[in-house]
Formats: sequence, structure tokens, C-alpha cells
Amino acid sequence: MTVAAPTPKANMGQPVPRYDGLAKVTGSALYAADFPHLDLAYAYLVSSGIAKGRVKSLDVREVRTLPGVLDILSHENMSDAVAHAKFFSDGGPVSNSVVPLSSPEIAYAGQTIAVVLANSYEAARDAAQRIVVDYDIDPASATFGSKGAIDQVLAEQSKKHEDPKVGDFASAYAAAPVKIDAAYSTPTQHHNPLELFATVCSWDGPNLTVYEPSQNVYGIKNGLAQQLGMDASRVRVISPFIGGAFGSKGALTQRTAIVAVAAKRLGRPVKLVATRRQAFTIATYRAETRHIIKLAATPDGKLQALSHEGFEVTSRPDPYAVAGTDASTRMYACPNIVSNVTIVRADRSTPGFMRAPAETPYFFALESAMDELAIALNMDPIELRRVNDTMKEPIKGLPYTSRSLMACFDEAATAFGWSKRNPRPGSMRDGDWLVGWGCATAAYPTQMAPASARVSLFPDGTARVETASHEIGTGIYTVAAQTAAEQLGLPFEKITVALGDTILPPAPVSGGSITTASVCSVIAQACAAIRGKLSNEAVGADLVEALNKRGLGAIEEYAEWVPHGAKAGAMQALYKGAAQPIGGAKLEDRMQFAFGAQFVEVRVHSQTREVRVPRMVSAFAAGRIMNTRTARSQLMGGMIWGIGSALHEQTDIDTNAARYVNTDLAEYLIPVNADVVDIEVIMVPEEDKLVNPLGIKGIGEIGIVGANAAVANAVYHATGQRIRDLPLRIDGLMPSA
Amino acid sequence: MPEHLDGDDKPSVSRRRFLGATASTAALPFMGASAARAVADPAVKPDPGALLNVSLTINGKDHRLGLDVRTTLLDALRDHVGLTGSKKGCDHGQCGACTVHVDGQRTLSCLTLAASAHGRVIETIEGLASTDGKLHPMQQAFIDNDAFQCGYCTPGQIMSAVGCVKEGHADNDDAIREYMSGNLCRCAAYPNIVAAINQAKTQMEG
Ligand code: FES
Ligand code: FES
Repeated sequence: MTVAAPTPKANMGQPVPRYDGLAKVTGSALYAADFPHLDLAYAYLVSSGIAKGRVKSLDVREVRTLPGVLDILSHENMSDAVAHAKFFSDGGPVSNSVVPLSSPEIAYAGQTIAVVLANSYEAARDAAQRIVVDYDIDPASATFGSKGAIDQVLAEQSKKHEDPKVGDFASAYAAAPVKIDAAYSTPTQHHNPLELFATVCSWDGPNLTVYEPSQNVYGIKNGLAQQLGMDASRVRVISPFIGGAFGSKGALTQRTAIVAVAAKRLGRPVKLVATRRQAFTIATYRAETRHIIKLAATPDGKLQALSHEGFEVTSRPDPYAVAGTDASTRMYACPNIVSNVTIVRADRSTPGFMRAPAETPYFFALESAMDELAIALNMDPIELRRVNDTMKEPIKGLPYTSRSLMACFDEAATAFGWSKRNPRPGSMRDGDWLVGWGCATAAYPTQMAPASARVSLFPDGTARVETASHEIGTGIYTVAAQTAAEQLGLPFEKITVALGDTILPPAPVSGGSITTASVCSVIAQACAAIRGKLSNEAVGADLVEALNKRGLGAIEEYAEWVPHGAKAGAMQALYKGAAQPIGGAKLEDRMQFAFGAQFVEVRVHSQTREVRVPRMVSAFAAGRIMNTRTARSQLMGGMIWGIGSALHEQTDIDTNAARYVNTDLAEYLIPVNADVVDIEVIMVPEEDKLVNPLGIKGIGEIGIVGANAAVANAVYHATGQRIRDLPLRIDGLMPSA
Repeated sequence: MPEHLDGDDKPSVSRRRFLGATASTAALPFMGASAARAVADPAVKPDPGALLNVSLTINGKDHRLGLDVRTTLLDALRDHVGLTGSKKGCDHGQCGACTVHVDGQRTLSCLTLAASAHGRVIETIEGLASTDGKLHPMQQAFIDNDAFQCGYCTPGQIMSAVGCVKEGHADNDDAIREYMSGNLCRCAAYPNIVAAINQAKTQMEG
């Protein structure tokens, strides 16, 4: 076996190679922009160069005469074409409620202000670049502290958010002997999935087909129907392969409706492949955050008081917030807790989910502060976590369904060699390099959503699974086939899987680490129904024989599965593309989380302050692991994101103009192969019979959660410098003069 | 670029002309000085009828294409030949998703004008397996080592990996990491890509 295919431990499935591996290595997997179309026209977006104001005039006279140019869409001819739809946090489908081209108003830099349609991509691009725009410019607020940015208390803006608190923080903090009070910040970041944001729309009479990479095809179908004032049954969305998403393809962006209208007007299919630069503003991003953490403990490390204040940037119209205090206040036993979240409205596009949306920034703050507390206590940071480990969350006293945090710390610490660490900062030098070792807790809420699926068994011993879930790289084709193979007792090779198409039974948004738990649960339920109809006991050849004995051509079962804690109407919301993930810290009766422990070695050059991460070890316990190969890859992917996030990733903002500056892959730095050396992923066996019948918790996000803090904590250990603002770049590490 | 708006000041220029798209020059692929001048000067109108005849040998088959002068090799492959295995991740030579082989050299097809590849031999991901369907050792090694997740960077990674081995840049892990760093993988399959190249190189060399 290769390293890529770890031997399964207890409660782990086989490392079956990916179902879609052959398609992906031969170039035959079709992504949204890869489908052939007859008589295709091309769209190219014109983006606003200003952040706030209005288009005074668009000079398109010359451009209209260019060869190949078919039409130019702008507020002058599109004002009523697309209906306003609600922001998804308010129960609507869209990621940003500003409707471009509906008026000359500009709400953020990069907003689409015109679209060129042409016979070729080259003609459309050329024409778009020749359009001359006159603007009326208003001053724009870019971010925290910008003039005109408005602070609002999240709990007053959003009915869904309640600030976790318990006990009397102020008195306990005042009385405690050891305290930490520190401020942290995280930067704006963009998902930058490698696939560009593409959309192809094609009409056949009243019926619209959309090819678009999506984490929620039913969301596009229903949302688009609403925007275009048509019946959702006339919209089909096709998305069998998605070239990375990480949250950016979860909610409906405003580009889709524009392309649909363009195709209708031209009477031809229209393809848009937005540029990398446009990807920074036509979809969502991770907003910059700020945090103030106060911790107080007894001399033996028992937490007495914890306060987490979060600050997050959002757009003017949409109150997006990740509010990671829901998780950060519940990690450790502590009798006195207070928290609050402030949103700051600025002239920006609306942010959205990005890998571990809430936990990535909030755990950077919490887990850095825990490291600072361990140092103040002169205590090993692992021991500090152990002293405060708990099987009950501290706010309401609800039990965790399972929690293997310390098992993760112990396994990872052993593999990492933590016992050899000299805790004194700067003590582990290797030539010119200062070596530092750091660690942090990772956790992610175990959530699920309603899901439906159809499973069919045929007389030749093959079976087919159909569900409109999304292959964003997580391996859902593979684990869906594995689930059916296990539940029906058939070989993996006998299963076919169809995903990513709204003609299939609806599956929820593929985000929030919910997919494997939700989709495998409903597939298992459909398989059980097949077994129940044919014969309760039989699986495999006996099951197929039972089918043949009855002379059936096929047996087909349609199943709907609803997770614990789902509200009334949740299943119907699924069919509208609006099923909400449920679980984590949002249940009435219990806490559901996956846990992990992340260890990092950094090397900081003593002269240049260059930071390298030669080694990272992380252990995770997340209930049942369906496939150790795809799981390892996904956890590893999250860990490497964490390295990039800690050291490099930042979308720079020109705060005067409220515009992004480094909007391409040369200047927005994501990890490359040479940045990554030794990554060890440990999957700790864990059984949790409560979260769902298969015991799956989900692993898509947790790999990144503790990584930022682990890197910062290791840098402190290497240098004695505490960096509280990400990314941790060389300039922040220069020895103070 | 917009005027800077300092503090309370009103914009110093309230009406100002901007190019509509902010990426106007950066978005254009490399082209000769005269071609660049022709595009930059609005007085010189390209002739719509003036398609260039471009001959390319792609995966062993000869193709004669009538192409707009501005067409990149990547767009020619994807939009005109129907070979969509090569991917567009940036169109700027920054990600490697579009990597193909031109006369045996790994090449970013988004930075190559199709016209400049006239008469050349192009190999893409679709041509890597043998005609009987047997996978190239690199393709098999990518499957065995789970060297991808979403798969979008994969055609480029594999074409680049084959080039990396052929160039003799796969002697050790450090060299592989360095010579594969032009191919971004946002899913971060990097350690598995290194393992795949190590597996395939012995078979390729053997
Ligand atoms: S598409 Fe060619 S390098 Fe990115
Ligand atoms: S596999 Fe997704 S970008 Fe590499």
C-alpha cells in the first residue's frame, strides 16, 4: 500500500481508489466549461473600476461596430431583466443581493457593469476592454476603521445569532491570578479554486439548461427561476465535476441570471468564463476579522473566565457573519464566559463561506491565546488543554456525543516527538535556522442536512445510485459507491453513481462538511429498503438471486433522510434548494463536533526571517471514516491550506479606493509544491452512534482549523515573537530595532 | 487607476475616464510588437474575414484550423478542436492548468498563440494513454497515489510531471517539488503528486 492509502483502523472503510480517477487522469471528466454546444456565443464581463458611485455613461459606439460583437448588456437594456432575490442568510438563494445591471449604481469595486456578447471569446474580450466608462465617484469605505463604515451588533441584526455566555465573567476575570488579554486579526482571503467561475446557459423553447460548477445545483435551479420569474421545473442545472469550490460555489451568484438572459436574447447558448481577476469580486470571499480574547486561569491552569469578542467586515446590504464564538466559547470547561460579535458594513461585495468559515479565524485567536496562557502559566500547552478538557460544553451543560480531543493530542504528540521539545523560545536552533514547535486544537461542528437518493438494483448484480450531490474533490462519487456496495453486499466495481444534475433526487449544499454524513445516510436508507423488499437478511449474490427469483427487471427505492434536530419543513426546503445544515452547537439536546490536534515545526531564518514549515503532524477523530485514502487527502489538503493561510494568503486592499490589489495567482500567494515537505495525517478511531446511523462526522473543513494558530505558536517558540496578525510575513518578524 | 481619495477630500477628479476592464493589457497573451500595436490602436480594425490558417499536429493527428489571430493555443484546443482536457485556471501563465507539450517541451498553452504553434507537434492529456486505452505510467501513478482531489489541475500536473521526468528533473523529492511548483493545486495534493512522480519515473525510465 502507498502512503496515500492508509490501512484502515477500527471504524474505517477501505482506501478504494477514486471512482472518478480514470476520468480525471485522462482529461475526460467534463467540467462546466467543457461541454460541447452548437452555435455558441461568448460573454465577457466589464467590471467596475470604482467601489462606490454610479455609471455616468458607457461609450459603446465604437465597440458595437467591432467584428463579431453581437450585443452589449448594461443597465440601459437590462434594468428589469433580473428580479431581486433575497440574500441566503435571509432565506433567499443569492450570495450577494446587489443585482448588477439593474441600475447605474455601483456598490463595490469589480461589480459587473456591462457584458459583451460576441461570436468568439477573442472578440468579446477585445470589445470589453475598449468600452469607455464615465463614473460619478463617491467616497467608499473599505474596511475596519474606514470613514463611513458602520459597526452593528450582530445579535441585533440577525435573529439566528445569540451570543453565548454563562456565569459572571467580569468578577471571575478580576479575581483570577493569571490572565491573558490580547487582540488578533486575520486578513481578507479568496478561495481561488483552480477552476474559473464559468456559466453556460442554453434555452430550448421555455426550458433552460445551465452548466455551472456548483455546490448546490438545486439552489441554482430554484433561485434562478425566482430571479427570472419562471417555473423552476423548466430549469435544469448540470454540474458533474467541480474544479474546487471551498465555499465559493455554494450560493447563487448574480452572474448566472445575466448569462441566462443573454442566451435568451440571442437565441443561442452563451458561455461565460469569468477571468481570475473577476473571480475576486463576482463570487464571495473570507472577510477580514478582528478579535479580542481575555482568558483567566488558576495557577494549575483551570480556566476561570473566557471572553471572545469578534469583529467581521460585511457588505452594506447583506449581514453576513461567521460568528465563530458559537464554537470558540464551547471548547473548554470554564464557568464564566462572555462573547459578542460586531459586523462592520463597508462598500464591499458580500463575503461568504470559505473553508471552515467560522473556525479558521476564531480558532486562530482562541488557540493563540491558549498558547499565551500556557506560557504565562509556565505549563505545557497540551497539558493546558488536558486540564480544561470536558465532555460537556460549558454554556448550557449539554453533552458532547463524542469528543476525542486528548486522544488526538496524545497520538499526534507521539508521532511528532513533542517530548523532545525544549519549551524555552529560541532554544532549538539548527545552524542559521531557529526551530520552533507549536500545537493547537482543531474542532468543527458535525452538521448534516436532509438528503434524498434513488438506488436501483438490477438482475445482473449491478446497482445505480442517483443523487444531486456535488463532486468538488471530496470523493463523494467514491464514498457513495462504497456505501451502496457495503449496504447491498456488492463489489465496488458493480456500482454506478450519478451526481450533479437537477434531474436527480435533491441533495443538500455540499458545504459545512455535511455531504458524506447526509448523502451516505440516505443511500444506506435506500439500500436497506431494497433489502427489506426482497428479503431482510440477504446481501450480495443472495440479494441479486432474490431479485431474479421474482423475475423483476429492477428494484428501485427512493429514500428521504432527515437528520436529528431538523425543523419541520426541512425536507421540503431541500427540494427548493434551501436545506440548512443542522447540528454542531445549534442543537437543543447535545453537542456534535469532530476534534483534532495539529502540530507544526517551523524554521525561521535567523537573519532573513524567512519562515518555512518543513513538518506538520495532525490527528483527527471524526467518527466513521468512509475511505482512508480520500479522507487522508482531504485532511492533508486542509492542513496545507492552513500553512498557506498562516504564512502567505492575503487579499490586499487599497483602503483609499476600496479595491483589491493582488487579484491574480502570481500575487495572491497560495502554497506551491515546494512549500510543502512532510505532512503526516493521523486518523484516530472513534465511534459515535448518535450523530447518524453510520456514525459519520465529516472532515472537509477540520484540517485547516488549528493550523494558523499552530504555525503562530511554533513561530513564537522559534523566535520569542508573538505574531497576532496574519499572515505571518517576514516584515512582521524582523527583530525590533 | 482611480484617484486616491484622501480623508475628507472630495475626489480631485469627479469625472474621469477609465478603461472599462481593469486588466486590459495584462489579459492579452504575449504577441509581437506590431500585433500589440495593432490591438492598442483603435484606428486599426482587425479584418473579421482574416482568419489565419493554422496547421497543428495534435496527439498524432493533423488539424487545419481557421483561427482568429488572437486565439491562444489553449482556446484553440478547447474551443476549436474539442479537446477540453487542458484547463484554464488563470489565462495568465500563473497556474499551469493548461500545460501541454509542444515539440516535446512542456508549455503553457494559455501563453502561446495558436498561430505561433503552426506546424508544431502538440501533445495533450487526451493523447497520453495508448490507443488501446492503456494508461501512461504517470496517469496510473496519479490514481494509485491519489494525486488529485477535484481533478481540475490534474491534466496540467500530469503533462508537467511527464516533462519533469523527461527533463531529468525528478532525481529526488526536492527537485520534483521545485520543478513542479509552476503547477498549482488548490486542493493541495502536492505530497501525493511527488509520490506519483517517484512511482512513474522508474517505469518511464525502465
Ligand atoms: S491557464 Fe495557463 S497557466 Fe493558468
Ligand atoms: S486537484 Fe483540485 S486543484 Fe489540484
